[in-house]
Amino acid sequence: MDIILGIRVQDCTIIATSKAFTRGISILNSTDDKTRQLGEHSLMAFTGESGDTVQFAEYIQANMQLHAMRESYELSPKATASFVRNQLASSLRSRKPYQVNVLIAGFDTKTEKPSLNWLDYLGTNVELPYCAHGYAAFYTSSLLDRHYRADMTQQEGLDLLQLCVKELQLRMPMDFKGVLVKVVSNEGVKIVDF
Amino acid sequence: MSDPNSINGGSAVAMVGKDCVAIACDLRLGNQSLGLANNFEKVFQLGHTFLGLTGLASDVTTLSETFRLKTNLYKMREERTIEPETFANLVSSTLYEKRFGPYFVGPIVAGINSQTKKPFICGFDLIGCIDFAKDFIVSGTASDQLYGMCEALYEPNLEPEDLFETISQALLNAVDRDALSGWGAVVYIVTKDQVVRKVLRTRQD
Amino acid sequence: MPGLAFDNYQRNNYLTTKGYGSPTATSTGTTIVGCKFNGGVVIAADTRATSGDIVADKNCEKLHRLAPQIWCAGAGTAADTEMVTQLIGSNLELHSLHLNRKPRVVTAMTMLKQHLYKYQGHIGAYLIVAGTDPTGAHLFSIHAHGSTDVGQYQSLGSGSLAAMAVLESEWNEKLTKEEAMKLCSDAIEAGIWNDLGSGSNVDLCVMEVGQDAVLYRNYLTPNVREAKTRSYKFGRGTTAVLRESIYSLVEVQEEIVSFKSAAEAIEVDA
Repeated sequence: MDIILGIRVQDCTIIATSKAFTRGISILNSTDDKTRQLGEHSLMAFTGESGDTVQFAEYIQANMQLHAMRESYELSPKATASFVRNQLASSLRSRKPYQVNVLIAGFDTKTEKPSLNWLDYLGTNVELPYCAHGYAAFYTSSLLDRHYRADMTQQEGLDLLQLCVKELQLRMPMDFKGVLVKVVSNEGVKIVDF
Repeated sequence: MSDPNSINGGSAVAMVGKDCVAIACDLRLGNQSLGLANNFEKVFQLGHTFLGLTGLASDVTTLSETFRLKTNLYKMREERTIEPETFANLVSSTLYEKRFGPYFVGPIVAGINSQTKKPFICGFDLIGCIDFAKDFIVSGTASDQLYGMCEALYEPNLEPEDLFETISQALLNAVDRDALSGWGAVVYIVTKDQVVRKVLRTRQD
Repeated sequence: MPGLAFDNYQRNNYLTTKGYGSPTATSTGTTIVGCKFNGGVVIAADTRATSGDIVADKNCEKLHRLAPQIWCAGAGTAADTEMVTQLIGSNLELHSLHLNRKPRVVTAMTMLKQHLYKYQGHIGAYLIVAGTDPTGAHLFSIHAHGSTDVGQYQSLGSGSLAAMAVLESEWNEKLTKEEAMKLCSDAIEAGIWNDLGSGSNVDLCVMEVGQDAVLYRNYLTPNVREAKTRSYKFGRGTTAVLRESIYSLVEVQEEIVSFKSAAEAIEVDA
């Protein structure tokens, strides 16, 4: 029931994740952050089996930092997504695979373009303008299809996100305690008031 | 949940014409009933040989990257690009290597041999059994429909322009009867010295 | 077998526990037969390959060459019959090169059965092996688990019952080559008409003692598709195209390099 949502607009990518941390029928925490920053211009949001999620995200985070330290440059968002996909695809062939689905928001400083990648635990990887994991996708896809434009500004993107969150609050059976919104742009990763 | 081959959906088809071949695929990538992407191409160009991959999207990506690696290494060793017939055997042995834990894919290969100028197409099952066909090869979630369309529409020795119409109509009408395929289509018409790539106008439902 | 990788096996088991079923491989739901005659042996097969209830290939080749005078008809999982046959064919050639003798049919049969037994039936190859060697003409059948049979006539595959009915009623000890060919193709035809898993054409291979084997690809074609009386060709421009891009496969770049300057260009102390 976790919500993770991403929208890529003209010069940044917006990521929204639900703040409720649930276990079974209880909400244990209402200020959860389901994202990890992988580099200066890349952010990964995740959902899935609790335990696997944070373990996997921090494993990726550590490897990205290691790469940056060793090679003195950061992977492009496309390369980052490809690396994460490879980790998930090879994990799927192990005894106990990571059950983690992720979104990767990035800003390629070479091409000056934002990006958003959708990856699931099977190792599926697609670059998309907007996407979500889990049930949230069923509720928001139609709104995003209807209102999305590739040339939207950050503010227009946030307005569209507001529309999506309203719908989720209205239709989702559980109170997900609002969303934490982060924006990945030329200036790096920033938390946005929402 | 059912067959891994039909989680993501997608279809591909290849046909032989007069001194030409055509290979086409749809563009949908879904998660069960939910359509995710309408830009997921399933045909990959490896030199002058073309590979269509349908099935589990994860394995489609994994295998397309594996074959990109293998054909690039081949190109460096041999100082030429791989011929379609040779590539077909590469696909077969790569898949059979995983006989007891297969990739969930249905590959098809199309191309024109650069030496003999002969058109070549073939298909595979998920463990690498090659299906050499003289006419057409189908694959994917709409394969049943494609068999029907191709069996009815196909005729031998079509010129490139006519082959394009035949393969396009076969694919389009097949995927329109498959919930998991569609959302755009791409066709490659390959002649001995030229490749034409066309993106088709399709239904979006 | 060297080179078989099992790393996806765990993953697929895991996917099975998540509720994903497993897909079907192409199988040669088949009729294959073999029969000895005075001075040689004949094998034959139909040419239909199926996956589930779909005819995957209407004219596939089920007769495989193990050695120039040893051929083998395969039923069961199509990829397995093809691959096991290629592997043993290679090893048989190495073996005969090593001994500097023509390969024997019993050798081929033994290599196949030992390989198949090792895999405990998981390699789904059901084979009829036949051929001639310095010891005469031979005919064997091999099952996927590694058991073998010797006989004057054999049939295997889903159409084996129909084929065996023909073999049992028509076979006799004094068959000529032509009679054996007729008997085998009749037996395959029984499979083609009466077994759903078999169809299309008859392939046949004759191996006579002291002579090269002769393959009759599509010996009988009783199921030729009727030519269409009308054309379904579409008018050019029927299909709507959004975008078109044309790539040239041949790029010709000409540069004339004289031998003299090329020789001078070689660096020896870089």
